[in-house]
Amino acid sequence: MTEMKLSWPKNYNEVPKEAFVREDIYAEEVKRIFHGTEWHPVAHESELPNAGDFKTYRLSGVPLLIGRDVEGVVRVFYNACSHRGNQLETAVMGNKTEFECPYHRWLFDSKGDLVGCPNPREFLPGFNKADYPLAQPRFDIFFGLVFVTLSSETEPLLAYLGDSQNTLRELLAGDGRLKLLGYQKVRYDTNWKSYTDNDGYHAPLLHQAFKMLNWQGGNGRQFTATKRGHICFESALSVATGPTVLKDKSLIEFKGQDPAVGSRIVSLFPTFVSTKHLDVINLRFATPIDAETVEVHYAYFAHQDDDEDMVRHRLRQSSNLLGPCGLISMEDASIFHRIHIGNHTPGSAIFQKGVHDPLKLESEFLQNDESGNLPRWEYYRSVMGFERATA
Amino acid sequence: MIETDMSLEAALNAVLLADADALDSKDMQRWLDNYADEENASYFCRSAENSEHGLALGLMYDDCRARLEDRVTFVNDIWVGTFQDYRTRHFVQLTSYHRADTATLEMRSNFSVFMTPKDSGITQVLAAGQYLDSVRQQKNGGLKLLSRRAELDTSVLPRYLVYPI
Repeated sequence: MTEMKLSWPKNYNEVPKEAFVREDIYAEEVKRIFHGTEWHPVAHESELPNAGDFKTYRLSGVPLLIGRDVEGVVRVFYNACSHRGNQLETAVMGNKTEFECPYHRWLFDSKGDLVGCPNPREFLPGFNKADYPLAQPRFDIFFGLVFVTLSSETEPLLAYLGDSQNTLRELLAGDGRLKLLGYQKVRYDTNWKSYTDNDGYHAPLLHQAFKMLNWQGGNGRQFTATKRGHICFESALSVATGPTVLKDKSLIEFKGQDPAVGSRIVSLFPTFVSTKHLDVINLRFATPIDAETVEVHYAYFAHQDDDEDMVRHRLRQSSNLLGPCGLISMEDASIFHRIHIGNHTPGSAIFQKGVHDPLKLESEFLQNDESGNLPRWEYYRSVMGFERATA
Repeated sequence: MIETDMSLEAALNAVLLADADALDSKDMQRWLDNYADEENASYFCRSAENSEHGLALGLMYDDCRARLEDRVTFVNDIWVGTFQDYRTRHFVQLTSYHRADTATLEMRSNFSVFMTPKDSGITQVLAAGQYLDSVRQQKNGGLKLLSRRAELDTSVLPRYLVYPI
């Protein structure tokens, strides 16, 4: 393995800014993390409700085809022909029961089997179509959430999720029976770690909207799960009590069944953030494009048992509340950009709020503590092989 | 009163340009004033990808006058000082129109929006697409937007949106 030199501070609450901006470190992250022993959410089954529905996605550049076959089973393939490797499907989503590569007309069914190729008599002697199905990465599914890993050595998915399972299942409405409402997609000019460091964690000081809506929160639990430091938030929502500045109060209205825990966030290493806030169910599929760009697909959902009014409420709330133009999150997006610019300066980013002892890692935090990110940073440091200073 | 197609077309263009000018001037009150004073006045901004697949979710979903007024509050009051500001230039081109009833016209136009962040100073395309508008004729003969659907060809935005497209 390449030896990258990066001096990592002794204190757990300090992260060297170089880690966010160095190209050599990014190249190594792709190998060790994105192609390494991690599970990456790439879709939810409800994005493909019908037989033949498919979606394509690129996981740090690797093209994937996620499809529901004619018998209703969801499968994940590499989106490349098993012949010369041509990208098989170009649409972002659609419905097909067969996929034909235009290059040499190889035809695959929805289970990935090669069912036709012209002139096979001219191929290698002994050519057998059965030897050329679409290749598949390892994948597994948790309450409809489809995960892919590009390593054969990654532990089983349930072990990977560990104690984040419960919060994640509740966030997926308890049963994973979701209904897709649509997408908001955006590229941020920031390193993927700056995105994940600041997306799940919401600084109330930043959010003017929280203040104006008398929504200071703080009444909740934040904990980390597994050695990877997956972050879970569970908090009660005190819906705006003071005079509101909004004329249409339905934007912050809570109609759901879960008032005791109105807000849940699960942030899985390395890039996935998901949230249930008021009646918004939002899964954010994020992938690095390069060291300075991350692309985020915000997918929004209703529940399959919702009546028409509830679907409409979720639609109206989801479109305007979170995401790259949302009332309470637009300014996050701006922070992603500014943090990345600031990270081109010497020294370390220093975490303060909730840190009791810089030489110890904890796993239980208050809702607004920024120290919840630190176990994940320790895992990142160890995967990347950076040595922590002893003095 | 609008009596000829020529003057009607000029009046529709004036509606398009009034919106573009209000947005590029970041004058949200003027943006709002270009909409009819009716309870169901609306503005939607949605990716073509969502609409092609029957997904109603928008980037902005202001389906009543109250939400249009709230959007003015977002920009003028709630978000002040929290984002990197950017200039925009809207280019609009009327492509077709027809009369729906005595008081309502439907029109389509193409748009492209350039943005220039104030810090980088580098200009790039923010979005392209088409506006699908319903236009209401006022009692005084003037025209206002009753509803606008900004359908974006752009499905992956290069930046977060502060202002409507």
